[in-house]
Amino acid sequence: MDKIELLAPAKDLQKAKIAIMYGADAVYVGGKFYSLRSRASNFGLEELKELADFAKQYKAKVYVTVNIVFHDADYYGIKEYLKYLDKIGINAVIISSLALIPLVRKNAPDLECHISTQLSALNSAAVKTLKEFGADRVVLAREASMNQIEQITHKVDLPVEVFIHGGMCSNYSGRCVLSNRMTLRDANRGGCAHSCRWKYRLYDGRDIISDPYTLLSMSSKDLRASAYIERMIECGVASLKIEGRMKSEYYIGQVVKTYRRMIDDYYANGPLTKEKLAYYDNELTKAENRPSDDGFLSGDCDNSKHLYGVNGAGVTHDYVAYVRDYDEIRKLAIVEVKNVFQSGDVIEVFGPHINNKRFRVEYMFDTNWENVDLANKPTQILNIRIPFKVEPCDMFRRVAQE
Amino acid sequence: MELLVTLRKIESLEKFLPMVDGIITGQSFTTGYKMSKDDLRKARAYCQTLNKKFYIVMDNFITEDERMILLEYFSFIEELNPDGIYFHDLGIIDAAKSSNMASRLIYDGKTVLCNSLDAAFMLKNNIESVVISRELTLKEVSDIVTNLMGRVEMQIFGHLRMSYSRRRFLTNYFREINKDYDYLGKETLKLVEEQRDYAMPIVEDENGTYIYTDFILEMFEEVVKLRPFLRRGIIDTLFIEDDNLVAQVCRDYKRIDENNKQFVREAFLHNYPGNYSKGYLYQKTNISKDG
Repeated sequence: MDKIELLAPAKDLQKAKIAIMYGADAVYVGGKFYSLRSRASNFGLEELKELADFAKQYKAKVYVTVNIVFHDADYYGIKEYLKYLDKIGINAVIISSLALIPLVRKNAPDLECHISTQLSALNSAAVKTLKEFGADRVVLAREASMNQIEQITHKVDLPVEVFIHGGMCSNYSGRCVLSNRMTLRDANRGGCAHSCRWKYRLYDGRDIISDPYTLLSMSSKDLRASAYIERMIECGVASLKIEGRMKSEYYIGQVVKTYRRMIDDYYANGPLTKEKLAYYDNELTKAENRPSDDGFLSGDCDNSKHLYGVNGAGVTHDYVAYVRDYDEIRKLAIVEVKNVFQSGDVIEVFGPHINNKRFRVEYMFDTNWENVDLANKPTQILNIRIPFKVEPCDMFRRVAQE
Repeated sequence: MELLVTLRKIESLEKFLPMVDGIITGQSFTTGYKMSKDDLRKARAYCQTLNKKFYIVMDNFITEDERMILLEYFSFIEELNPDGIYFHDLGIIDAAKSSNMASRLIYDGKTVLCNSLDAAFMLKNNIESVVISRELTLKEVSDIVTNLMGRVEMQIFGHLRMSYSRRRFLTNYFREINKDYDYLGKETLKLVEEQRDYAMPIVEDENGTYIYTDFILEMFEEVVKLRPFLRRGIIDTLFIEDDNLVAQVCRDYKRIDENNKQFVREAFLHNYPGNYSKGYLYQKTNISKDG
């Protein structure tokens, strides 16, 4: 049995590299064109090549989203783009336009075609149809339950990919154009305004029937499928997908690392104990800023899986610094400040090769070797005395509460 | 162009059918159709009597658990021998193979069929015809129907579906505010966003929740030019209670031509005032932060 793939999102080159270094088997990114998430930084052609080269060093794969719902004019330049992706060693395109399949076959024969969740494949018959259409992989709709995913994987011989973490569309993906009506932004061409998260009054005829203190919202909690990873591995899901091409490097690093450890733990030691699951869940919580649940995996989504009031869950840990280097002789971490912290704070360090080691900040110096007590200038470089070794790309988070 | 109207209750049959070339109706795997199996048989028979076309619609997504119900429903549909089946879930293509319906499938892409290439792809894969998305400009529609002469259909009247969710937004909301309310399948509920003033119909059934545009699309004048290229034009009756209005819409779409189009449209709007719109025909929806 092939080891299940851990697939992570990235909105720019730095975050893609972090995802790979923190343990993703593959990353998916958007180019400047043809991609949803228009507010993500997205990759230029040179950056895509740099990422493809970088990924090869780690034996990781790179998938490029070509997943807008195309209008006729949007296809301009697509053949050349596909040829370029093929040439630089991109492994697959994630598509919602079925017409791209023959275009890829003809112009970019080494690229795989992964069918986006935009096409809402929710049953084995849909997966079979997509295979006949020439798909190499199908991303299942997020509305499938775990039982249904098991049934589907047993009935089809096409690799399926399943979302395990991150934001959820409250509607079937691709089937919501609320933004088009309410903001003139095309949700299916990268303009989603998250109108589902707004507040609505509800009327029956002319009578208002909503509660004035709790208006109707379609906002859903984020997805967290940690409790289902074992079943997904056992039923033959090919790839576990993390959502979040708009997310920070901290989120990517923490979520990828946690699922990486969880997957490796399962393969090395068998089923995860309750204690281990609780530990990994707590790790995922450190990256969350919205409440999460298991979405449709457990079946129906009732009101407990919706957000009617406050959107934020409150984070237990703040991401405060990114390690640029380590001075082994002087035992100094050279870091870039991301958020406010100060002398006396307890910091937890995590990274590709370090798991949650803590220290208390005592000595900080700026680049002129002046003492610093309060780190409150984002992007400032500081030298921090640290009692253990760190590496570039490790991250510091302040332990805000326990 | 065949002119079709959605038949959502059997009582409307005799009023609508003489005005159009056929009806679209259904029961399972769709929403807003209050038709029993006997109603469907009756509608089928009446279509045959008047030599009109009869189409079935199944425009919901189908879970793996529902596949057996789907296959049973297909047996029933075979008995009805419809002229076509409107579908949305790609799994229907595979399911139809075990019946003699495979050559009668019409793909309604709802929000995701916005271009000629995807439409052509479906047609090449033995789909009889395709319904293009509602979020297209008139120029885009014209290009697609010209590129795929006679193989393309579109909704030409009615509220436009804006969202489709498996989540039960109304059930969950009433549970959240602890309120008993009779809402399931009810077509009089509307959502108003707190910063806006238009009211969007919302309906929930056992398959999920659907939200539609506040406005009713009308394109009387535009249809005149598109008609030679369109295979079918669809009048959707969801949320429109007045059968007389629908019958008039059918009559007007049938008779409208280059000479009378302005008069026909204005007379209709005068006699049946309402919140009509050209939808997205003259309104691009690709605004980004860059403008």
